[in-house]
Amino acid sequence: MSPASAATTGAARVELDVNGSVADVRAGLSTTLLTVLRDDLHLTAAKRGCNQGVCGACTVEIDGVPMRACLSLAHGCVDRPVRTLEGMLETPRMQALQRAFAVSGAFQCGFCTPGVLVAAHALLASDPDPDEAAIRRALSGNLCRCTGYARIVAAVRSAASSLAAPANQASA
Amino acid sequence: MTAMPQGMLWPRTVQEATAMLADDPDAKALAGGATLVAMMNARVVEPHALVNLALIDELRGIRSEADGTIRIGAFTRHVETAGCALLRGTAEVVWQAAGKIANATVRNMGTIGGSISFADPGLDYPPAIVAADASIEIASVAQRRRVAAADFFVDWYTTALEPGEIVTAVILAPKAGGASYVKHARVASDYATASAAVCIEGRGTVRAVIGSCGPTPIRDDAADALLSGDRSDAAIASAGALLEARADPLDDVRGSAEYRRLLIPRLLLRAIRQAETSIAA
Amino acid sequence: MSALAGTAVGLSVPQLEGDDKLCGSAQYIADLHRPGMLHGAILQSPHAHARIRGYDLSAARALPGVRAIITGDDLDEQHRMGAFIKDEPAFAKGKVRYVGEIVAAVAAESEAIARAATQLIRVDYEELPAVVDPAAALAPDAPLVHEGSAQYIKVFDAGTDGNLCSRTEFTSGDVDAAWAGCDTVVEATYTTQAQAHVSLEPVGALAEIDAGGRITLWSANQSVFRVQASVCESLGLPMTKLRCLTPRVGAGFGNKMEAHVQPAVVLLAMKARRTVRMILSREEDFETVRARHPFSIRIKTGARRDGTLVAREIEVLLDGGAYGDDSPGVLGYALLMQCGPYRIPHVRAHGRVAYTNKLRFGAFRGFGVPQVTFAAESQLDELAEQIGIDRIALRRRNMLVPGDPWFGGQAIRSNGLAECLDIVERESRWREPVAAPTPDAPSGQRLRRGRGIALSAHISGLLASGAIVRLLEDGSVLLNTGAVDIGQGSNTVLTQICAEALQLPVDRVAIASPDTDGSPYNWGTTASRVTYVTGRSVVGAAAEIEKKLKAHAGEMLECGVDDLELLPGGKVAVKGVAQKSVSFADISGRAHWAAGGPLIGTHSWVFDQKTFDPKRAVALGLPFAQIGIFSFNALVVEVELDEATGQVRVVGAWSACDIGRAINPMLASGQIEGAFVQGMGYALVEEMVWDGARLANPSLMDYKIPTMGELPETLRAYLIESDEPSGPFGAKSVGELGINGVAAAIANAIADAAGVRLRQLPMTGERVLRGLLESAAAS
Repeated sequence: MSPASAATTGAARVELDVNGSVADVRAGLSTTLLTVLRDDLHLTAAKRGCNQGVCGACTVEIDGVPMRACLSLAHGCVDRPVRTLEGMLETPRMQALQRAFAVSGAFQCGFCTPGVLVAAHALLASDPDPDEAAIRRALSGNLCRCTGYARIVAAVRSAASSLAAPANQASA
Repeated sequence: MTAMPQGMLWPRTVQEATAMLADDPDAKALAGGATLVAMMNARVVEPHALVNLALIDELRGIRSEADGTIRIGAFTRHVETAGCALLRGTAEVVWQAAGKIANATVRNMGTIGGSISFADPGLDYPPAIVAADASIEIASVAQRRRVAAADFFVDWYTTALEPGEIVTAVILAPKAGGASYVKHARVASDYATASAAVCIEGRGTVRAVIGSCGPTPIRDDAADALLSGDRSDAAIASAGALLEARADPLDDVRGSAEYRRLLIPRLLLRAIRQAETSIAA
Repeated sequence: MSALAGTAVGLSVPQLEGDDKLCGSAQYIADLHRPGMLHGAILQSPHAHARIRGYDLSAARALPGVRAIITGDDLDEQHRMGAFIKDEPAFAKGKVRYVGEIVAAVAAESEAIARAATQLIRVDYEELPAVVDPAAALAPDAPLVHEGSAQYIKVFDAGTDGNLCSRTEFTSGDVDAAWAGCDTVVEATYTTQAQAHVSLEPVGALAEIDAGGRITLWSANQSVFRVQASVCESLGLPMTKLRCLTPRVGAGFGNKMEAHVQPAVVLLAMKARRTVRMILSREEDFETVRARHPFSIRIKTGARRDGTLVAREIEVLLDGGAYGDDSPGVLGYALLMQCGPYRIPHVRAHGRVAYTNKLRFGAFRGFGVPQVTFAAESQLDELAEQIGIDRIALRRRNMLVPGDPWFGGQAIRSNGLAECLDIVERESRWREPVAAPTPDAPSGQRLRRGRGIALSAHISGLLASGAIVRLLEDGSVLLNTGAVDIGQGSNTVLTQICAEALQLPVDRVAIASPDTDGSPYNWGTTASRVTYVTGRSVVGAAAEIEKKLKAHAGEMLECGVDDLELLPGGKVAVKGVAQKSVSFADISGRAHWAAGGPLIGTHSWVFDQKTFDPKRAVALGLPFAQIGIFSFNALVVEVELDEATGQVRVVGAWSACDIGRAINPMLASGQIEGAFVQGMGYALVEEMVWDGARLANPSLMDYKIPTMGELPETLRAYLIESDEPSGPFGAKSVGELGINGVAAAIANAIADAAGVRLRQLPMTGERVLRGLLESAAAS
């Protein structure tokens, strides 16, 4: 296929469910969800760090499960609810994570942070009391070059504890 | 001339999918996307049409069949395989391998069918399913057929799939016993530099397979025969030498060919000892 | 320690930009968007070395949506940039010098069109022989990377000649005579690899142009002023025509300190007369920008039998890549620091940088010190072993104590190294035996543990900074320094310094974003200099504001300025009479509307402590005549080595840093921890690999950095405060210090665990296993 036609071929309408709203966009066959989120919907929390699925900066939820937006084709996401960090800001779980990250110094440049928060949010949803091994396992796919990871692990633990605490107090 | 359908195609059955692939030889089958979309992003492949297998119920899920085999649908994501309690005994090697693929997020996306169809020799499933003596069910528009896992991987990035064919299931016949998949990699989430997959049946029969040390997973009948009678350190060293003689490893950024050769008997030993503890468990 | 008002300094204030970063609304360069903007893409050279005979742009121009194409024909031969040697055009002109070099660029209506258009550009190359090995590059008949290298403008006596980019030599005492007085001499060669920065954010820039031709340039950068200088020098633009700004930056570690795509993006905008944004892919970032210098190090150290160090000779050869960039600085700095924090009376430290046909090597956290520390601290362990003296005892005997100067005679006025060493020795349980995780495993299958130590240092003071503090109408304060926060938290730290100086709470001080139009000059966020150099500017500017506040208050309260003091919360009061006070807001109102004019405090300085005392050392080719103020680090690591595979993992790391005063303990600790893990990658895993002249692993699939899976079970940072008298509230800087000793400490731990001494980085499982097999064969 010639470079010229590759550049302009195949854009078609696709309807996506993003953060609970219908998003009506045009996307080519090879257009990824990441490109649609960032360029069409201006949801720029998900970042492009490698475009190969390695770095994790593009992590979003599809069908309720963390996935790589850069490895998801826009047309392949039809009828599969997509949730980005922007769509999780109101949850108590995300707010607990944000508070913990802020006071623990669990981010520096912040570029990996949205992907880390989405993965951590999903972890706490399925495992409200993860130990360190479980946190490492869930987040090994999120690269961070700034923090050295220790504070991220501590912040996830701390968020888990703070989410559990109100229930403990109630029963005490 | 009929226009080729462009874009994303959504077959509901295996028959529809294989018919679409037969009609358009340049269309590609899309499963989890972990492999194919990365290649599209890098412009290594630029398909004009994709046959998306996501809606085909038959390809989903892991189930126990009446004949005692376990059928893993091709569209089973690694996270499911890694969490499946049905994969016991010698089949455990497959769930161990599934849990070591890449990282948790990629495991939510990639599928067993997509993975083995790509046949990257650095992958985790190939040596594991060969050790488990799995068979691969393949569908074309005309027929279904089965191929032993050992015969499915033919060469670098080359499988026994003919044009228009897709993997529909990986079928395991688990035996009582133990298994282990040992993966040596530079860092977590990396491809294996080298790996060893071992199944030990309760009666002592051993299948030992080495991964990432050649174009296809490495097995040796004499090595298996030797280990099936004797799992002493000395026997394992001899078996390791036989496997190493069949290896054809690359020099690449993960390691030199020489290092991979050194690793073969060492990983084999580790895998056998770990498989033994899983029999006891 | 000087007393604090306690409003800000010493508090672990969370990053001021935290909300945006945690909500995903922080705007990095790739998030910036302008309606109707064009997208840029680059064409990279397929050749390591070739003359460019011409370009055929006809097919590219014909592609619908293409709005501008630039090539070397758009550049003037005279215009070259470079931090030390002006050897670099905006992008390739006349020649290409490395595979991956930017040869042309396109601006088009979409990124897809721009990328497609680059593939339609035809370049007529005449291939030339390439040289990829630095030693081969310095051989007499080597192909010349820069034919005219001797003619380039240099900012110091570089000694450039052919492929010799620069040379430097420092001597102290009489090394040749001193060997005779040594009871033990150890000599060895060490080699280190190219490390890629792998900031999570790839580089990019966005340039807007107004009708008058003035350009506003946003880019991922570590210095708006270096961007401005580089773009203007390489394009021949007057500086008044270019305004440089900074979005949120996704880390740098040195990769973004000097120019990357900015000159190309500006030129595209000028040609298209429209806004252009260009973001490199990860692969392009790996191949095009810069990386850490590979070093080849020959090092020889002599000591007396009681362990006293007497003599050191070190010779280094750096692979500089195709352009000088920061290479002369890395060479000079490495030679300045190679003694480590020890007294060594007789020293010859010399080295060269060679041009090769690879991407330029440049600034990367540590700036040459991780490389020489790997060699020097490894050698100290070997020396200790030969002498038969304990590894820590050898270091204690020789380490710099308060009052000792640095190599070359520069005075050190704060030295907490002893406390650093004490705390890591204790916390790591150094004196206790290491655990034996697999006591019953047979030989060849064991996990073995060992511990290693390294001491190192880094500077804080270099080049120029300024600060402007303005009192806003409501009595709050606006601080503007031009220092770029790349994620390390300098905005927060500088705000804390300003707040403390004026006894304000942190939320009453705002900090402006770096802007060459509005900010005072700041050389850059590099060299671990911002807390110290810019922090001092902030203190100075705040002091001016304080003076002006008191001048007003004196008139308003009818007393002498010496009778006044600041009170916490923004007040000026008569000393001891708190009720007789005026608020900053009152003063500001008076100043704005009645008397004196708006209150502006400024400070401007360049670090002027001389690197060397000419009575103590002789220097040839010194790239930094004024550099200093030393922070110190003691690092212990414990490793676990798998005999079966050779793989080493770090199980514990204890890193103590004397940073004078921790302005923000949480952010300072974050620097130490992050630097450790990055250093761990450097030590064990990371390596840019060339296949001939082509980079073989320019992707995150193939170039691996540590993941959370590699985080040691124990990673502890300790902050030691020795109170640097010249520092802002006693502070020195911390950004790079934590990486310098990591490779050495790990090498020493591997030797301790398994008796294998590795002298090449990275210390992969393969290299360790080979070492184990060789020592088994030898015994």
